[in-house]
Amino acid sequence: MTTPAPTKEAAPAPAGERRTARQLSRQVMGEAGIGIALLALVLIFTLAAPKFATSDNLTNIATEITLNTMLAVGMTFVILVGGIDLSVGSVMALSGVVAGEVLTSTSLSTPVAVLLTVLIAAAVGMACGFVNGFVSERWRVPSFIVTLGMLNVARGAALEYTDAKTLYDFPPGFSHFGTSTLLGIPSLFWIALVMAVIGHLVLTRTVFGRLVFAIGANEEAVRLSGHRTSIIKVAVFVIAGFAVGIAAVTYMARLNIASPTIGSGYELSAIAAVVIGGASLSGGKGSMIGTLLGACLLGVLTNGLLLMGVSDFQRQMITGVVIMVAVVVDHYRGKLAARMPQKAAAG
Amino acid sequence: MNRKISLAVSASASLFLAVALTGCGQEGGSPSAGGGKEKKKDGKPTVCLIMKSLGNEFFQTMQKGAEEHAQKLGTLELKASGIQNETDIDGQVAAINRCITDQADAIVLAPADSRALVSTLGRAAKAGIKLVNIDVKLDDGALKAAGLDVPFVGPDNAEGSRLSGEVLAKKLGKGGKVVILEGNPGAANAQQRKAGFEEAAKDGGLTVVDSKTAHWETDEAYTVLTNLLTAHPDIQGVMSSNDSMSLGAVKAIGAAKKKGKVVVASFDNIDAIKPYLKDGQVVATVDQFAAKQAADGIDVALKTIDGGKAEAWVKTDVKVVTGADAG
Repeated sequence: MTTPAPTKEAAPAPAGERRTARQLSRQVMGEAGIGIALLALVLIFTLAAPKFATSDNLTNIATEITLNTMLAVGMTFVILVGGIDLSVGSVMALSGVVAGEVLTSTSLSTPVAVLLTVLIAAAVGMACGFVNGFVSERWRVPSFIVTLGMLNVARGAALEYTDAKTLYDFPPGFSHFGTSTLLGIPSLFWIALVMAVIGHLVLTRTVFGRLVFAIGANEEAVRLSGHRTSIIKVAVFVIAGFAVGIAAVTYMARLNIASPTIGSGYELSAIAAVVIGGASLSGGKGSMIGTLLGACLLGVLTNGLLLMGVSDFQRQMITGVVIMVAVVVDHYRGKLAARMPQKAAAG
Repeated sequence: MNRKISLAVSASASLFLAVALTGCGQEGGSPSAGGGKEKKKDGKPTVCLIMKSLGNEFFQTMQKGAEEHAQKLGTLELKASGIQNETDIDGQVAAINRCITDQADAIVLAPADSRALVSTLGRAAKAGIKLVNIDVKLDDGALKAAGLDVPFVGPDNAEGSRLSGEVLAKKLGKGGKVVILEGNPGAANAQQRKAGFEEAAKDGGLTVVDSKTAHWETDEAYTVLTNLLTAHPDIQGVMSSNDSMSLGAVKAIGAAKKKGKVVVASFDNIDAIKPYLKDGQVVATVDQFAAKQAADGIDVALKTIDGGKAEAWVKTDVKVVTGADAG
């Protein structure tokens, strides 16, 4: 499903064909590599854990990776421009509790309350994202530091706002949606998929998407060519914030609570998914399909190891090793992919 | 792996916030602007209450209870402080050191780790500060090695989870299959609660088919239990070491369409668990009366300041709460 993309991509730009083709084949190689690793894992678990390849379990995996997929979709934009967002877990908690307050309000009818919840959660996420982007652009502070600050600010604000209490008692219809399925796939995972697809289209089919890649590869060149890079760089953090807001609502719908302590450490799972998906932390390289596969790989790994009855500590070690292997393999794969089209051109 | 990295990152990141937090606890008239070397002599002894994460509802309740108790007594100055997260050991070390600098008369501590804080407490003891241990018991071996004798005021976690597990065992009957959801590996209260559950399972003839950690977290408990339910479809009961994990467990049971077929025994008695107690999905939870624990700890501290001798373990109440209690 990834192969048609390069032909369509390359078609409208015949002038830069050789370079675009190389770039794209590298991208496809990356995704294919992750895809193969994912297939291998699925095969191993199918043999080792009898209940792994059941439709119920696949539904479970989809449920389990939903949050991380959403966060990783937003994170992909940030990492592509060479930034990082460490605040996503905390901002998710803040969005959740602020929106959750509306959801528990008895004076509103359920549809209105849910609509407001989604809007407010997204708005809180985007506002935090805007602050992240604005501060790091306006004062040229690395986003690592700014979002580290936001990690603490948002967590503190969530705790302050709720007095550390867990919010519950959401409308039944809301949590019903959280556990519903459509065509055998959890409704919430559909939303994550739609987000990934939109993200993919934005990255590959729009000027904005091209600029995101270009800034990550060589920001100075983009600036010199007359583009206002700051706006784009703030925008990617706002996009990440939007994804976080949606993830917060997803969490509430699935687990029926909003707590100021949720989401700690989620930023690292999201970053791991993006990096396993073949993205470079220095920016300019990566793809939404890779991110989606990366999130799947992490989810399959956790699920399969749990089903096999592997102990907690071993599971933690294995997950860590897989991340390292993925990055090392990616290093060689990138080199190989870079060489391939030249060979093809020569031959 | 995520958690380990997250620990490293958040530990370093939150240092300044931890300082800010503990600083807040001291605002109640701190005359130590000039280094705090001179001892305050306004007659009232100073008691430092050092808790774990105030982001945890349990310690919020504890702090409020302690402050109310101190106000009611009127015979002490209470300096309450917390740390950034459950494992912020450095934050507690810093808080103890501040109490030493402030020449407090007693420290009442809910330790984030049952061994790591013992040596710092030794310094406090040398400075003539009376020590009281609440919530989670400090490790006996580590205390002995440091030559410390610290009275413990707190609940019997194992007893609590045993009682909760007993309710589940009665409900399921002999031969019932259960899984345990553990708290953070290495945490003393997590180990004690697990031990209590295991004892209840043994006494009640239940089979524990698996035991996994979900790090006290709702979302992780959802994931872990979903997979355990897949791996062992014949599970009838879940023994969950805190209510936050039980919230995730209940949703996982619902998603697996096993509502009513799998029930949960829990621990902590937070507000959010009440609806599930009422509808029977959670058969029991345990209240350890956080407010009372801190108040009792303060009482023991005052007693030892006055030269009295405290019992080695002043047991505070643990009470099983079931649907009938929740109303």
